[in-house]
Amino acid sequence: MIVGFENVGLAYRDQAEILSGLDFSLQEGEFRFLTGPSGAGKTSFLKLIYLAHRPSSGRVTLFGEDVTAAPREALPALRRRIGVVFQEFRLLDHLTAFENVALPMKVAGVNQSQYREDVRELLNWVGLGDRIDARPPTLSGGEKQRVALARALVAKPDLILADEPTGNVDPTMGEKIMKLFVELNKLGAAVIVATHDISLIEALGKPMLRLSGGRLADATPAIAARKGRRK
Amino acid sequence: MSGDPTIAERFARSQAERPAPARQAFLARMRAEPLLPDAGAGGGPLTAAIAVMSFLAGLALAALFFIFAAAGAWTSDLKSGVTVQIKGADSAAIALEAAAALKLLQSTDGVVEARAVSPEESARLLEPWLGEGNVAADLNVPALIEARVAESLRADLEVLETKLKTVAPGAVVDDHGQWHERLTAAARSGEALAVFVFLLVLGAGAAIAAFAARAGLAANGETVAILHLVGATDAFIANEVQRRFLALALRGSIAGICLAFLALGLASFAMKAAGGGAGFLPTLDLGPRFALALLIVPAGFCLVTAVTARLTALRTLSKEL
Repeated sequence: MIVGFENVGLAYRDQAEILSGLDFSLQEGEFRFLTGPSGAGKTSFLKLIYLAHRPSSGRVTLFGEDVTAAPREALPALRRRIGVVFQEFRLLDHLTAFENVALPMKVAGVNQSQYREDVRELLNWVGLGDRIDARPPTLSGGEKQRVALARALVAKPDLILADEPTGNVDPTMGEKIMKLFVELNKLGAAVIVATHDISLIEALGKPMLRLSGGRLADATPAIAARKGRRK
Repeated sequence: MSGDPTIAERFARSQAERPAPARQAFLARMRAEPLLPDAGAGGGPLTAAIAVMSFLAGLALAALFFIFAAAGAWTSDLKSGVTVQIKGADSAAIALEAAAALKLLQSTDGVVEARAVSPEESARLLEPWLGEGNVAADLNVPALIEARVAESLRADLEVLETKLKTVAPGAVVDDHGQWHERLTAAARSGEALAVFVFLLVLGAGAAIAAFAARAGLAANGETVAILHLVGATDAFIANEVQRRFLALALRGSIAGICLAFLALGLASFAMKAAGGGAGFLPTLDLGPRFALALLIVPAGFCLVTAVTARLTALRTLSKEL
C-alpha cells in the first residue's frame, strides 16, 4: 500500500478539525482524482500525504510505514519518493528554472553530472528549454507551474501528488500534463490529482475521491448526477 | 487518449535507477550556488561585525605576543644576573672591599662575567631620586658589582655570599628574585588578560553568529520548508547555513586581521621612531612568525562561526516537522 488513512483527522494548532474521520487507501499503480468545493480540505488532505503536517487524530501510513509518530529523521527518505506539484508552485525565487527543477536531486546529494540531462529534457518537454536560466519572478504563472511539474517528476517518484496542476496552463499544455500523469501511472507510479475540473475527471475516467466539509463523501452520485443533467 | 511514452518512460518510478548520493568535494560545495538566499542572514552587517571583532582579536593576540616577548627579555636578564652590593663606613673601605670582592668573583667557578659598576654609573642611577650633584662625595654610596652566573651557582648563592664576606664583610648578594617574581606575575596577568579578551571576542562572534543564523532561518522559512518538502535532511540544510556563515566569517576575519596588521605596523613604526622603548621595552616584532600566528584569528572565527551557525540551525530545524 502506498498511502493508508485510518480515521484520520487534521486540526491546525488548537482549532477545530478541518479534516475528520478519513479512511482511505491508495495502492501501488492507482490513479485517483481528489475533488470537492473550495475550502473542503483538498490541499490539507495532500499535505498529510506529503508530510507537511502530522494528523491530529487517526493513523497515516506511507509506503507501508506508519508516519503518524515516526521520528523526524525517517521523513526525508519518504518525502524523496513523492513528487508534489504545489498549487502555489513553491519555487525558490533566487534559483534558476534549472536549479529549481534539480532541487530534489541536489538535496539527495546526487552529482549534477547524473541529473543535468534529465533536468534539461524535462524543461524542454514542458516548453521551457529556452528559459532554463530564468528565475521564477520573471516567469508567468503557467511557466512557473510547468517548472513545478518538472521538479515533481525529476526524481522519478513512486507517488505523484498534484494540486490543481492544470489551473494556470493553457488547455493544450493541461492535456499534455494529464496524459503524462496517465503514462507515468501505467508505468507504476501512484497518482493523486486534486482538481475542480470535472470535465478533466470525466475525460480520463479515473476513480474520484470527493471531499465535503472535511470528510470523504461518495463520489459516484455527483458524477452520475452531472452526467444525468447532460442527457 | 494517447500518451508520451518517451518522456514517461524516462521518468517512470524506478528505485533501481535512482542515482546514489555522492559526496561532493569541499571546494565544489563552497563554489556551488547557495540554496539559502542572502536575505535575512545579514551578510553585510555580519561580515562587518566579524571584521571588527577580528581586528580586536588581532590586537589582543599582538598584546599577548608583546607581553610574552617583553617578560621573556626582562626575566632572562634578571635570571642570569646577580648584583653584589658592598656597604661600608667610608668610601675608601668600600672601594677596597669592592676590589677584593671583584677579584674573588672573577676567580670563582660558575661566575661567567663580573664587572664593577663605576661611581659615575652609580651616581647616574641615583640621579632620578637624589638629583644631580656630587652625591658620592656626600653619601657613602654602596659599591655595586654586576655578575652573570651559571645556573649551578645560582642555586647556591648563600655559599657565594659567605665566601664574599670573608674578603668584603659588607657584601650582600641580590639575586633579583623579588623583581623576577613580581615581573613574572605581572606578565602572567597581562597574558591572561590578553587571552581572556581574545576568547571574549570569539565568544561575541559565536553569539552574533547564533543570532544571525536564527534570524536567517526565520527570514528564509519558506525556503527551508520547500527544502524539507523535497526531501532535504536537517543536516543538509544545516550544511547550507554553515557554508554561508563560513564564507562570511572568512571574508570578515581576513579583512579584520589585515586592518590589525596595518595598525600594528603603524604602532611598531611609531615605537621605533620614538627610540624603540629606550631599550627597556622590546619592539613589536611583526615578522613572518607573528603574521603566521595572526592566522589563528580567521581560523578561530571561521571555526566558531561555522560550528555555532550549524548547531543553531540544527536546534531550530528540530522544532519543525
